[in-house]
Amino acid sequence: MPERQNALTSLLLRSSGIIFFLILWEASSRLRWIDPYFLPRFSVVVAEIGRLIQDGSLISNLAISSARAIGGLLIACLVGLPLGFIFGRWFPTAAEALDPLLRIMSQVNPFLVLMASTLILGFGETTKFLVIAWVSVWPLLFYTITAVRSVDPLLIKTARSMGISESGLLQQILIPASLPTIFTGLRISAGITFFILVAVEMLNASSGLGYFEHNSAMNFEIAGMYAAATVIVLLGFLLNRFLIALERSLFAWRAPADFLLGSVHTDKKRVLWRPGRFATATAAVMILLLLISGSFEIQRVNSERASMLSGENPGKHARHLGSEVGK
Amino acid sequence: MTSTNTTKIEIKGVGRTFPLKTSGSSAAREFTALNDVNLSIQKGEFLAIVGPSGCGKSSLLDILAGLSPASSGEVLIDGVTVTRPALDRGIVLQGDSLLAWRTVRKNVEFGLEAKKVPKAERRDISDRYIKLVGLSGFEDHFPHELSGGMKQRVALARALAYDPEILLLDEPFAAVDALTRENLQNELLRIWNTTGKTIIFVTHSIEEATYLADRVAVLTTNPGTIRQVVDIDLPRPRSGGDIRSTPEFGRFRHTLWQLLHSGEAHA
Repeated sequence: MPERQNALTSLLLRSSGIIFFLILWEASSRLRWIDPYFLPRFSVVVAEIGRLIQDGSLISNLAISSARAIGGLLIACLVGLPLGFIFGRWFPTAAEALDPLLRIMSQVNPFLVLMASTLILGFGETTKFLVIAWVSVWPLLFYTITAVRSVDPLLIKTARSMGISESGLLQQILIPASLPTIFTGLRISAGITFFILVAVEMLNASSGLGYFEHNSAMNFEIAGMYAAATVIVLLGFLLNRFLIALERSLFAWRAPADFLLGSVHTDKKRVLWRPGRFATATAAVMILLLLISGSFEIQRVNSERASMLSGENPGKHARHLGSEVGK
Repeated sequence: MTSTNTTKIEIKGVGRTFPLKTSGSSAAREFTALNDVNLSIQKGEFLAIVGPSGCGKSSLLDILAGLSPASSGEVLIDGVTVTRPALDRGIVLQGDSLLAWRTVRKNVEFGLEAKKVPKAERRDISDRYIKLVGLSGFEDHFPHELSGGMKQRVALARALAYDPEILLLDEPFAAVDALTRENLQNELLRIWNTTGKTIIFVTHSIEEATYLADRVAVLTTNPGTIRQVVDIDLPRPRSGGDIRSTPEFGRFRHTLWQLLHSGEAHA
């Protein structure tokens, strides 16, 4: 019983900052510290989120944004992980030679990439996937190279002394030993992906959460704007929490780092989770479903918009007028 | 082939050189780690190799394991030249060589998987060797939950599990405290007694070599070569009493000490 009480106290303590912030938000609008037209009350924004869920536009944009994020991340993984292993294990000299180039490329501002790829590839989905993949591939690549190169030579020596082949070494030693570091790279990539996705959708899309946010602002639907922003923040937070939890249970075999720091959370028993075939397949199917349903949603929204705009003369800011579609 | 009845390992004129990277000079320079090492080891023998750091002990062990090639000479095991690593030699290295993501049991079974032993059989074998090194009850623990001495026991069990005829040990107890080291030494002697393996044990500790081995090969440095092989005619079993305090033990210890230090004087 005292254990449960402790957990409750800890939860209250840890969420006190959030609660205080929300009260401040509500109060500053109610007491007119800030003009409520520009900052609607938190309760109004929550109600708006509820309305947007009911009319389907939030779900639609959410599906579209998730598909873009997952698609971009998948491309980044497909490029970054194999390249990281190839450079890290078999061509360390090439990795060293290419390092300055790769570092400079990783510093190229994604908005410049967006501009260039919009010019070359147009406003289509390819541009969005490309920009997202461009941004998220670097942490994955660099973390994978570092991970593979820092595998303890003692482990490699031990495995080799048992006559294990290079492919066996990859499966039995290199991949499991590098996974924790690679996962950190993935977590960073996912965070950046989320960031850049919203920006890309604001600049270069007619659907998705970023577009919805931007479009609401352009049309002075202020509550809608805050609703979208709140959902985006919440989503990013949940994604981050999910990945941290996954990391903790996947790599529970590591010596806990928080133990060294004398953190108060050491009493939490970490339970190792080894995803079996079923769990892995389920995760893969879910990711694929998100990707496919999002793609269909993108097509649906685009064709609807095309039929609405046919006959009209699409002006400079025509896409902002198309906000009716989302409703 | 006639002389291989009892000779397990034959080291014939083994040398090992490493190219030195020197910028500016056109002449290719080499560092000689090992030079003309000759040694034959009997089946079931416990041989220790002592020498100062940098004498090529670990290079010699790598060549024996087949992990790196000899620059000259060759190593024969049962009359066959060693060209690559194989499961007839088990190796335990200095430091933590356990796979951190595997439990004690799965670590011990690692070599058995490489040997393609069926799963049910793997379990029986790992049970047996975990018991042999005194770690029953820790099967499902992860390495980070073990002490340094326990980790080395797991490494030993892993090397023993796939039943190699030869054990190559490279300073396996260097990183543990003195009391644990004594325990591990006695465990090793007991295991050697019950399994009858041929053991080559590399160490920098004269005392450890004297306590464990039938014969001690003293390596001198720069280039690494065998100065002398000393027979340790101490009675077995050596555990139990305090054999380290006997005058005989002290004499062997002193002989080795002199060999090591006169070697340094020449260099």
